This record gives sequence, C-alpha cells and structure tokens, in this order.
Amino acid sequence: MDINNFPWLTTIILLPMLAALVVPFIPDTDGKTVRWFALAIGLIDFSLISYAFYTQYDFANPGMQLVERYTWVEALDLNWSVGADGLSMPLIILTGFITTLAMLASWPVTLKPKLFYCLMLIMYGGQIGVFAVQDMLLFFLFWELELIPIYLLLSIWGGKKRLYAATKFILYTAGGSLFILVAALAMAFYGDTVTFDMRSLIAKDYALNFQLWIYAAFLIAYAVKLPIFPLHTWLPDAHGEATAPVHMLLAGILLKMGGYALIRMNVEMLPDAHVYFAPILLILGIVNIIYAALTSFAQRNLKRKIAYSSISHMGFVLIGIASFTDLGLSGAMLQMISHGLIGASLFFLVGATYDRTHTLILDEMGGVGKQMPKIFAMFTTCSLASLALPGMSGFVAELMVFVGFSNSEAYSQTFKIIVVFLAAVGVILTPIYLLSMLREIFYGPENKELTSHEKLIDAEPREVFIIACLVIPIVGIGFYPKMITQIYDSKTLEITARLQDALPTLAEKRIVAEPMATIPLTAPVIESSR
Amino acid sequence: MTELLAQSAWLIPCYPLMGMLLSIFWFPSITRRTGPRPAGYVNLIMTFIAFGHGVLAFPAVWHHASINLEATWLEVAGLKLTLPIEISALTIGAIILVTGLNFLSQFYAVGYLEMDWGWARFFSLLALFEAGMCALVLCNSLFFSYVILEMLTLGTYLLVGFWFNQSLVVTGARDAFLTKRIGDLFLLMGVLALYPLTGTWNFTELAQWAQTAQVDPKLITLVGLALLAGPMGKCAQFPLHLWLDEAMEGPIPSTILRNSVVVATGAWLLVKLEPVLALSPTVMNAAIAIGAVSAVGGTLISIAQIDTKRALSYLVTAYMGLTFIAVGTGQTQAALLLCLTHAMAMGLLVMGTGSIILNNITQDLTQLGGLWSRRPISGLSVAIGGLALVALPPLGGFWALLKLADGLWTTRPVLVAIVLLVNALAAFSVTRTFGSIFAGNRQQMSERSPENIWTITVPMTLLLGFTLHLPIILESLSLLPNWAVLNKDVALLLTWSSIFGISISGVLYIGQSVPRPIQLPWKPLQDLFAYDFYTPRLYRSSVVGGVDLISRVTDWIDRYLVDGLVNFVGIASIFGGETLKYGNSGQTQFYALTITGGAIALIAILLAFL
Repeated sequence: MDINNFPWLTTIILLPMLAALVVPFIPDTDGKTVRWFALAIGLIDFSLISYAFYTQYDFANPGMQLVERYTWVEALDLNWSVGADGLSMPLIILTGFITTLAMLASWPVTLKPKLFYCLMLIMYGGQIGVFAVQDMLLFFLFWELELIPIYLLLSIWGGKKRLYAATKFILYTAGGSLFILVAALAMAFYGDTVTFDMRSLIAKDYALNFQLWIYAAFLIAYAVKLPIFPLHTWLPDAHGEATAPVHMLLAGILLKMGGYALIRMNVEMLPDAHVYFAPILLILGIVNIIYAALTSFAQRNLKRKIAYSSISHMGFVLIGIASFTDLGLSGAMLQMISHGLIGASLFFLVGATYDRTHTLILDEMGGVGKQMPKIFAMFTTCSLASLALPGMSGFVAELMVFVGFSNSEAYSQTFKIIVVFLAAVGVILTPIYLLSMLREIFYGPENKELTSHEKLIDAEPREVFIIACLVIPIVGIGFYPKMITQIYDSKTLEITARLQDALPTLAEKRIVAEPMATIPLTAPVIESSR
Repeated sequence: MTELLAQSAWLIPCYPLMGMLLSIFWFPSITRRTGPRPAGYVNLIMTFIAFGHGVLAFPAVWHHASINLEATWLEVAGLKLTLPIEISALTIGAIILVTGLNFLSQFYAVGYLEMDWGWARFFSLLALFEAGMCALVLCNSLFFSYVILEMLTLGTYLLVGFWFNQSLVVTGARDAFLTKRIGDLFLLMGVLALYPLTGTWNFTELAQWAQTAQVDPKLITLVGLALLAGPMGKCAQFPLHLWLDEAMEGPIPSTILRNSVVVATGAWLLVKLEPVLALSPTVMNAAIAIGAVSAVGGTLISIAQIDTKRALSYLVTAYMGLTFIAVGTGQTQAALLLCLTHAMAMGLLVMGTGSIILNNITQDLTQLGGLWSRRPISGLSVAIGGLALVALPPLGGFWALLKLADGLWTTRPVLVAIVLLVNALAAFSVTRTFGSIFAGNRQQMSERSPENIWTITVPMTLLLGFTLHLPIILESLSLLPNWAVLNKDVALLLTWSSIFGISISGVLYIGQSVPRPIQLPWKPLQDLFAYDFYTPRLYRSSVVGGVDLISRVTDWIDRYLVDGLVNFVGIASIFGGETLKYGNSGQTQFYALTITGGAIALIAILLAFL
C-alpha cells in the first residue's frame, strides 16, 4: 500500500462511523464489552490522526494538505473533498483527544449503553468531518449530522429538563444552520462558475454588498454555535442537562466549530466584509466576556455556572479574530484549543462531583473537600487554569489575544484602551465566580445534610487519569506555548496577510513602508529580536 | 570553587522545586506507610542546600560586577524568548535571606504542624514560595517577574486555604487571591503597555531607556500607576491591604514567611521599576501618598487589634508603606535595607508570638498575660524582634530608618515627621503586644505554659541570634553609614520617638497603671481602628455588593428577557398551531376564503413596499 496516497482523513472520519454500525451487533448485556470496544476504536482513530499528521503533514506549509477528492453526486456537484491545514489540523487532533477521553469518561453510563456508544462514535466521525471537509455542501451535511446524536444524547441521558433542553438545542442550531445553507448556495452560484469547493470559493471575487449579506448570514449561524450573545441561551440549558461525557464534547469541541467556521468562512472567504464587521465582533466579544461572567456569578446551578464561563471565554476568540494581527488570530486559535481542554476537564469534574453528591445546587454542597481531596485538588487545578493563571494554557491564549489586539493598527488608541480595559474587567470577574464556586463546594465546614446521606468517595484512578491527560497539555502549553502555536502559525500568518490587504488603511501603509514586517507570530511574546 | 557556585546560582530556585516535586510522593493518598513527615525532611534538606549554595557563592560576587546570564528559552526565526538572570551581591544576598528564613520557618513548621496530616501539601507549598521568591530576585525581566508574582499569589491562596474546613479561612484565601489578582492584572496591563514604548522587558535595559526617554507624560503616568498597582497588592497597601489581615488564618510557619519576605516581593519589584516610575512625578507622589497612608493607618489599626497575628500583620502594611515612601523619593537603597531589617525582625516577632499561640491555644491579646517568667525564651524573642523593628540603636531597624529619614531630611521634612510618627506608633504597638502577652497578671488561658519542644525553640533562637547580629553583618558589608557624616539630629529624633512610643506603651501595658482593657476615650474612633477603617464592610457594600447586584440583574435579563424572548417564540408557535388547528373544518369554501385572504394580504404588503 502506498503510504503517501493512503486516504488518511477519509479513514479517520469513516472508521468510527462504521464502527458505530457494528455496535448493535456486539453480544453484550451489561454494556461492559461495548465500552471497551468504543474506547479501542477511539484510541485507534486517535493514533491514526497522530500518525497521519506526524508523518504526512508539513507544519511550515500553510496550504491544504492530505487532500482527497472524490466525486460523490455529480448532478449536485457534491464532492467528497477533505483536507487539513493549520486551522483544522489542531482542532482535529483536539477532537480525537477529547472524544477518546469522553469515551473513557462515559464508563458509568448504564442506561442503554449500546445506543450511547453508537451515538458517541457517530459524533466522533461527524465532528472530525466538520473540521476536515473542504466542500461547502459536505460541510453543511456534517454540521447537521452531528446535531442528531447530540439531540439524542441530550434527550435520553440528560437531566430533569432534558427534553426542553434538547428541543431548544436542535431548534436553535438547526435554525442557525439554515443560514449556512442559504449563504453557501448564494456563494456557489455567484459569478460565472458554480462550485462548492472551499478553495475555489475563497478565490472568487465577491462584490462588497454581497459579502456583507453573506457575512451576516454566516455570523448568525456561527453565533449560535460559538455562542455569541444574544443567541447563547440554548447553551446553559443544554450544558445544564447533559451528562459528563456529552458535556465534554459540547464544551470541548462543538463550541470550537463556531470559532473554526468563523475563521474559515467569514474571515478567509469574506475579508472585505470582515473589515466592516470586525468592530461588531469586538463589541460582541466584550459583551460575551463581561455579560456571561456576571451571569455565571449569579448561577446557583454548578453546570450552568460553568456553561456561562464557557460563553465568557469564547469572547476572547472573537476579540482575537477581530484583531487583524497574526498574534491575535493565533491567540484565538490557542484559546479555542485551550478552552477545549480546560472546558472538558471542568465539565468532567462537575460530572464526577455530581456522581457523588447527586446535586448540582451549590447551596446544598459545602465542605466536601475533606472527603474528596483528590477531586478537590483537580477541581482547583482546572479552575486555576480556567481563570488564566500564568503557566497554564488559558493565560497564554488570553495574553496573546491581549497583545495582538493592542498591537493592532486597525483601531484607534482610545478604542483599544477601552476594549482592553473591559476585557480585563472580565478577567477579574472570572476568579470571582470560580473561587466562590470552589468555596461553596469544597471549603468550609462539612454540610451534614449532604454527608449524612451521600457516600462521598474520592476520585478513582480512571478519573485521575482523565484529568491528568487533560492537565498535562494545559500546563505544557502554558510553559511552552510554541509547542502548539508552531503547528498552525504559518496558516494564521497567511490569513492575516490577506486580511491586512483588505484593510484599506493598512494596505496603503504597506505599499508606502515596504512590506511591513509582520510582527513575528510568537508564543507569549517576550522579546522580539528586533 | 566559589566562582563556579556563583555562576551556577540559577540552580538555587531549582532545589526547592525539586523538594516540592519530591513531596508529592508523601501525599497521604500515595504513600501511607511512612506517614507524611519525610516530605518535610526532604524539603528541609533542599532548602538548606539552597541556603548553603547562596552563602558559599556570596564571596565570589561581593564587590564584583554582576554576572548576567541569558537563558534562551526558545529561539525561532524572528522571535527570541530569553530569561535574563542577574547574579549580583544584591540578588545573592536576597536569596540568602529568603532561603535562610525559609529554612528556619520550615524547621519551625516541623514542630508547629506536629499533629497535622497535611505535611506534604504544606511543605510543597512552602517550597513553591521559596522557589518563586528566589526566581524573582534572580530574574531580571519585568514579564517573568509578573509571571512569578502570579505564582506567588497562587501560593498564598493555597497556603491561606490550608485548613480549608474553617469558615474564616475560606474567605481569607479567596480575598487574598482576588485583591492580589486585581493588583496583578493592573500590573499586567502596565507590563504590556510598557513594551511598545521600550521594546524590552529587561530591568537593566529599562533603566537605561528611562534615562533618555522622551514619552508622553500622560501615557507614562497611566502606565506607571498600573505598574504601581501590582506591588500595592503584594505589599498590602491601602486600599488593597485587606488580604494580609485575613491571610492570618493560615498556619503560623507560613505567616512567618508571608509577613517577612513574601510581602517584600512587591517592594523588590518596585525598587527594580523605580527608574521607570520616576519618569512621572505623579506616579512617585502617588507612591508616597499610598505609602504614607498605609504606614500611618497600618500602625494605628495595629494598635487597636486584639488578635496577636493581626496586630503584627498591620505593622507589616505600615513598614511596607515606608518602603513605598522610600521608593517614591528615589531612595532604593533605603527601601532594600528596610526590607532586610523588617524581614528579620518581623520573622522573629511572628516566631515568638507563634510559639505562645501554639500552646496557649489563643491568640487573643486580652486573654493572655503574665507569661514572662514561664516563657523567657519566647519573651526575649518577641522583645528583641520588636526592638529590632523600630528605630532603636544599635539594632537593625534603626539603621534602615536612619537611612530613610536622613535622605528625606533636607528635601522632604514632612515625610521625616511621618516616619517619626510611624516609628513611635510602631514602637507603641510592639510594646503593647509584648506587654499584653508577657506582663501583667496571668489569666485563665495563660495559667499553664511551658516552652515548646526544641523544633520550635531552636529556629526561634537562631533567628534571635541573627537579628542581634544584623548590625555587625551590616557593618562588615559596610552598609552602615560613616560615623563622621552621621546626621545626629535624625538619629536622635528617631531614637527619641522610639523611646517615646515604648515608654508610653510600657506605662500602659507593662506597668499596669491603667485598668484593662485600655480604650480610647471616644468609642467610635476606637472602633474605626479596630475594624480596619471599616474597609471590609466598605468593600462588601460597594464592590462586592455591586458585583453581586449587577450579576443578579444580568441573570434576570438573561433568564427573562433574552431567554424569555426565545421561549416566547416557542410558546407563540405552539399557541399558533393549537389555535390554527381549529381552522381545519373540512369545508372547501373556507379554505378557498383563507387562501384568497392570504393572497390579498401578501399582495398588499408587496405593494406597500414597492
């Protein structure tokens, strides 16, 4: 077999999906075989991902790699076209990583295990598909495809209000994705050639007016997913009702689809419209950060609290995207990856805590730290990561967004100061709600009412292992961010260069002042050699 | 040999880090058989190695130019990320102080936490503190200093929250983190804003830049104020002083460190940043004002506290206020000297009072008394600690305050008055603490009180010895002023102010001439000091209350307006569907009518648009 022409991405996408079809036929009564099967498939797929990118992917090349293209439905001009570049590759790795861990996290699931793991495996392929496909119609298909398993996972294994939450989730996201279809069709039929291929769509030259409309349509669709205020209200409900593994997927990967698609379509395909929309993104980002942080502080339900904290963190992605600097864009990417890890770990811990206390209401907890020291320690670590402590990935990402934005030449000084200040207010609010949360769960005298009727067992090795898997990259990125930024920085550089051409003020400057040396895409910039 | 040790001084922060990592093996959940104690011994050894390394390396750097190392963390095209390290007499001296005090307090902790189950956690956190402080003094970069300060904030949070099942500990830990974090974030803003101006974060280069810098005064003032906020939080200056008082809920061995050296990290950063801050007179005046308010306020509040540890912690705020004054007037040498003498004296004071608190079970000054005859060693430690803190020759504090006041004498006489006032009040406060514990009649809580086991007494007496020898050490390092040029007026004034404070307090608290409890004639004033100018309440009603209220409002908006709209759409569609289903009458005419009506309406709307 020729290793260079092996269809890596297709295999990676289809393997879990095909495995999902096998699940119903596995002889299993108590769900113990099937979970090992799912975990094994997850591991195999993750190692395939790692191997493929390690051997076949050139990090210095900003272009599309591992490309495969087969005609699927000729009449519709639908192609099975996949590929990976600096934008999608880190997110594909993240997806493989988090989903595999989510399989391990779903060990305690006893209700209909076959269906559960079947859906999880479909999710696995579907999520990677969203990041890997290079055809707009296919993208739409995959985008819709991963909604169905999530809907079922929510409505069968969720909490008390699961049906409400699942319906809200499906209506919201499916409604949003209609805009994707409309915009995709409009773009495909624009101009002389009809094409759904993303590369060709990028190359097309759109009129500004058209771009603005398409941009707005995409923005609505991805604002639901990311989510952006005021289209976020499905998230606290869905997150509030999901079980821990589904939670990890929702927070760890599904939110990132919104950010990924924003960069892939809005920024890459519609750079001229982006110039007009960027200030709006910035304002929405600030609103996200502060509004969600404040709302999170007022939540009495643990899952809803963390859910709002996710919304708050996604605000940084918006600021990074709107910064017009490669450092900011790179920070936005890193923030997505970092939040994928941190969000997944926090939600997993919330699930682990819930398994023991059987309540999510903070007022009913208190003082459980004494009986569950390991969970206490892990929860503290992940909260500190979430509140952007130096040495953890969240800090590096937010710092890059901050530095990138304040170095941006696209905005006036006053505007930049106001935005940075407001974002900093959000950063101060984060420890307020996270530390209060820790205090209410773990600190203080033991809540006798809780400890008398719940058996609070400390974390088992499986749980410690999952958190360790998540914390190691968090700390690794925190101490050595270059490790991760270098695998995608050539791509962000390319996008920013394109964006800056679109920016009228900057483009003029570039002509005058020689190719303006792009500020080196850095890890937490410490010293530029210049 | 010493040369080699000096060259490798960057290893010093690694020793405690190694100790920290090794302690993990003795967490109760990992090793049960040996108990957690080996973690303590491992850390003790590591700290001693760090201390020894520092002491042995010192001769090589003394009177030599500083060694500057550059550790290239990573280097890629266009980006060079370096960690500059400065090994000089000053930094090694600071390391000796930090590791020495760490060694003594870890030694102390062996005795103090005899019965505790959290040794591994506690010692690894102390090691984190130690590593952080050593790294801070060595690193010569503003950015890395910021990162390390944040790590220390984390260390404080975890150490204060050590006994997390006590309710006061909870708020103490959280407040410590939050107040410091607010300061740190402003610092970060300043750090980021400074970079475009200077192009470097190296302190040495920053100082060079500041000499010739031409910057917009408004901008540099803003940046300078932001840079000031970080040390303000660290040094527990008004209005970010709240945390230090609440941090007293942590175990005493960590308090020794916090009160003596950890707070001084803020002062250290301030000293390093002085050239930049000096670019804006407003910033310098702000530093002086903050320092003066903290110094006077801190001592006044300290006098009104009935909790031993809190009485001492407010003195820390006051003395750090004096270093702010020193930096604000450009006297960095005096600031550093003050940090040194204050660290030794304060460490001794906390050790001495801690030794009382441990076996008298109370830290309430009103419940103690008459312990002098039973606790002479602790008594002597507290007494010497107190005297070394204030300006009383020949002990350490005198020389530091003399240097400060001498520098202010001709330029800022008002500040000299403040220094004298603070010194007198501090003298009053330490004498009051001493008197309340050791003089007077025995009370119920101080009826039985033997000296503690050797693991507590030995480090205490060792530090006592060092504190007593500090003037000699200073002399041998030629840090003491020349007798010929000594400003005798200042020296006399300082001495008199100390004697004044000590004697009044002595009459009141040692002499027993006034019935206890001694109160100010005007109750509201007494309460004002006792309750820390009502700062906690002020915060609770303003900032905390405000955030709480706003968050409730946003939650309400989110639930009933934003989400309410969504739910309304849902309910409206259900309602619409439910209502319309009655239209399914089965009569063709009715359908035709509906269609016609709909079509007419549509056309009307279209026409209205066109």
